[in-house]
Order: sequence, then structure tokens, then C-alpha cells
Amino acid sequence: MEAFIKAEHVSFHYENEDEHQVVQKNVLEDLSLTINKGEFVAILGHNGSGKSTLAKHFNAMFLPSDGKVFVDGIDTSDEEKKYDIRTRVGLVLQNPDNQIVASIVEEDVAFGPENLGVPAEEIRKRVDSALKAVEMYEYRMHAPYKLSGGQKQRVAIAGVIAMEPSCIVLDEPTAMLDPRGRNEVLTTIEKLNREKGITIILITHYMDEAVKADRVVVMDEGKILLDGAPREVFSHVEILKKHRLDVPQATELMHRLKSHGVNINEMPLTASECIKQLEAILK
Amino acid sequence: MNVLETENLRFVYGENTPFEKVAVDNLNISIEKGEFVGIIGHTGSGKSTLVQLFNGLLKPSTGRVLLNDVDIWEKPKEIRKIRFQVGMVFQYPEYQLFEETVYKDISFGPKNMGLSDEEIDKRVRDAAKFVDLKDSLLEKSPFELSGGEKRRAAIAGVLAMDPEVLILDEPTAGLDPMGRDVLLSHIHAYHKTRQNTILLVSHSMEDIARTADRILVMNESKAAMFSNTAEVFSHGKELIEMGLQVPQITRIMMSLREHGYDIKPGILTVEEALQVLLQKIEKEGAAHGS
Repeated sequence: MEAFIKAEHVSFHYENEDEHQVVQKNVLEDLSLTINKGEFVAILGHNGSGKSTLAKHFNAMFLPSDGKVFVDGIDTSDEEKKYDIRTRVGLVLQNPDNQIVASIVEEDVAFGPENLGVPAEEIRKRVDSALKAVEMYEYRMHAPYKLSGGQKQRVAIAGVIAMEPSCIVLDEPTAMLDPRGRNEVLTTIEKLNREKGITIILITHYMDEAVKADRVVVMDEGKILLDGAPREVFSHVEILKKHRLDVPQATELMHRLKSHGVNINEMPLTASECIKQLEAILK
Repeated sequence: MNVLETENLRFVYGENTPFEKVAVDNLNISIEKGEFVGIIGHTGSGKSTLVQLFNGLLKPSTGRVLLNDVDIWEKPKEIRKIRFQVGMVFQYPEYQLFEETVYKDISFGPKNMGLSDEEIDKRVRDAAKFVDLKDSLLEKSPFELSGGEKRRAAIAGVLAMDPEVLILDEPTAGLDPMGRDVLLSHIHAYHKTRQNTILLVSHSMEDIARTADRILVMNESKAAMFSNTAEVFSHGKELIEMGLQVPQITRIMMSLREHGYDIKPGILTVEEALQVLLQKIEKEGAAHGS
């Protein structure tokens, strides 16, 4: 596996002036993490755990106070390479309304590649293929404000895809969406990862989204608390709960049955796994 | 007794223009005093329009909204009073904090109601207590608070008006799981103590399952279902067709039921499921003589 993003001993702090004294706030502390090309990584952590700050280091929006971040081998602190980094790593934020700039869907998607100086013909191709990838092609002439939340968020993702990044970082992209919208966005993300090989870094509070990733990284107090496959990470029910996090209800149920002495070997992650196990127990 | 009631309520955006859109269509529902009602529906289903009709932010195109049997638009000039009685916490309410101190921000509502300073002070402190904001935070600027604290301060501002009906629109959006739990338990405790009516609009089926007595399901501008929580969540297929979901635990238990196991429909929490399963396992164990 080839490393795509490498964070080496990254610390990030900022200074807060409180009355007369300067207080240093440490958001990230000596954090090291490697994300491989083509991986789908979910990052979990309570509010204030440092996960959004970490994500902003991946496209040089923030630079480490100490340590280094490399994106595709490029040092993010190299001011001249900022542009190269931003074309490789696209960022999708929580609120789709803050990310849409144009009054027609396809113009919005074209905004990124236009700024990159991509020739007009090539832009046309990219916009069409990006809109098809998120299944919004038939809405290309619509006004974004008339779309549903899930549709808007998919347009925002198309805008990032049109820049042809090798990696997309999504910071709680479904927090404001209804269940259908969440599902649409998640399906889109999975498809981009599987079919186009785009590296995905998904920051989320939803455990059912995290179980779809190849790998789950749990942050706490600016450090990495757990890092592994979803099944492995979610088996640490007690640790997760202690750090203000949740597990999927399916996992919690089986964990609690187990603590009541019911014989359960492997913790389920999804509803269907849980149903199978329960049927075996009840038989 | 009904606290809120709608009579053939209809609301149309951009009436008589090419953009005309019916957002609430001939709705007849009633909400009893002291109920905790969850409102669900996909984006654009009409639920936000409905709650804005409830507190007089929007005026019905036709039909009426009754608060304690009186049409809220009977005296249009006094509609402000309705907004004190039907308090509304909007999405991301922390963006609306604006005063120099948290105390001043929370007191803004009661001040507008023309209450005495003494009463205002009592209300501010009570409201802060309900959402667990420490006294020491009251003199701080709202901008010094953490995200979760800001959200709670904004909610306290509405609680301080002591509304008879409290409407919360997506109060937990963007909070982490623990923040969500804490806020919901504050709301629950407030409901228990004050015995007032609460309407909670949410996309989180888990939040709704844990708190609501009844659920109003809005779909295509109409009330598709309005029934007790267990009953509504036993209609998984219909909800999914409307772009909604049921809590994962409910889905698991319903599926066992469909596979022939004797399990009651509409199980809403992990705790409830655990008890049902433990009982079944014990029985089976005894029957098998193990």
C-alpha cells in the first residue's frame, strides 16, 4: 500500500488571550497518522477532539505548529506547493449552502476547474462526468436553491470531483440532512471510493456511516485513541462510551447481552448481522 | 384538553405566482396539553412551515390555528403575545446569540414580555439551571462559550419565556453523541418538571424514539401518520418510502418478529430490546433444561 497522506508528530496549538494572560490551547498533540492511497477512512471523535482541525491539515488550510504533514509526498508547509496540494485534496463541509456559489448547478460545478485554468472543452467533460458520478446530471440546469439538502450536498461533492482530486475530505457532510439525503451522500461517497479509487476521509458523528469505512480512526484530546477496522474499533464499547462516543445500536445490544452472560463471539456492526446472530441464539 | 389544534389549515408559498407551492395542505390535527410530540418528515415535507404556523411566524392561507381554543390570528396586532406562549428554538440557535453577556441574552425574551426585574432574574437563573449552564458562565460573553454551551444558552433564552408550548427544530444537529444525550435529557427533565407541551422536529429517529409520546409524520404537505411512537415506528416500510427511517434497534426487533419470533412490535430502545431478549433466552434455557 502506498501512503497518500502522512502526518508526522503533528502538534497544533493556538494562543488565546484571556484577560491578561496568554493561554495556549493544544488542539493536536504529537499525532502521527498515515492514510493510504484508495483508503476509505472514517474519523470519529467528540466535539473539540481535534478531528476537524486534523482534517484541515490535509489540504494545507492549517499548518502544523510542530511536525510535518505530507500529501502525496509534498510538504504542506511549502508555500509554493499549496496549489498542488489543494488540487489533490478536495474539502466538503457540513452546510451545503455555504459551498454553493453559482445560480445554476453546472456553473457551480465548473467553478473549481475554471479557477484551475482548465480549458473550456475539458471543463465541459469534467462537469458532465462529475454530475453523472453523483447522479445529478439531469439537474444540471436547475437552480441550486431549489434542490433538497442531499441534492445540494451532492452538487458540492461534484464541484470537488470536477477538480479531479485524488482525495476528498468530508467534514460532517450529512449533519444537516434528512435520512434520505444522508443515504444519497453516503452511497455517492462509497461509489467514488470503489469505482474511481478516490481516497476518502469522512469525519462523522454517525456510527452507521463509520461502519461503512475500511478503517476507523477515533480521536480524543488531540490524539489518536483507536485506529483499526470498524469491527475491531467498535468492539471497544467501553472505551468509546467513556470518551463520549457511541456504538451502533446493533453492537450495543449484543455487547449488553454478552455482559448478561449470553454467549457471543463477534460483535455485529449492522442490523442484518445482528439479526442473524440473534436468530442463532434464539433457535 | 387540546392546547393546539388546526382546522383545515393550509399554507401556500407564492400564491398566485408561477412559483406557487402548497406547503401545508388541509391539515386537521390536535395536540393535547402536556404531550411530547415528535415531528418527522423529509426536507420539503412541510414540517418547518407547520411549526412556523403554530407560533404565528407565518399566517395561514386558509384555515385556522387554535391555541387553547382561540384562533391565534383573532387579533393580528397581538400576535407577539402568541410567540411568548409558543416558544420556538430554531435550527443552530447559537447563531442568534447577540448580547454582551449570556445573562443579557437569556433575559432578552422575558424583558420583552415586560416582566419585573426580579421575575426576569428568577427566570434567567431557572432557565440556565434547566440546561445546566453554571452561574459563572452567565457573566461571560456568549462567544467565549463552547459550541455545546452556546447551543444550551440559546435554548435557555426561549425557556426563560416559560412558553406553554415549546417547539425545538433540530436541536441536536451537529452535536456529538454525548452532547446529544445531555441536551435531550435536559429537555426531558424540563418537560417532566414543567409539564408543558413540547414539539420536537428532528431527522434523528433515535432522538424521537427516546423522547416522544406521539409522532406526527409529515409527507407531501399532509399528515401521513399521527400516532403513538411505537405504532408509527412499526410502519417501517411506509416510513422508508417517505424518505424516513426507523431506529436500527426497532428494525432489528421487527425483523425477528417477521421471522416468526414472538416479539411485540415497536420496540424503541436498546434497553427495551435487551429486556425482551433476556426474558426469551431465559425461558428457552429453562425449556431446554439447560
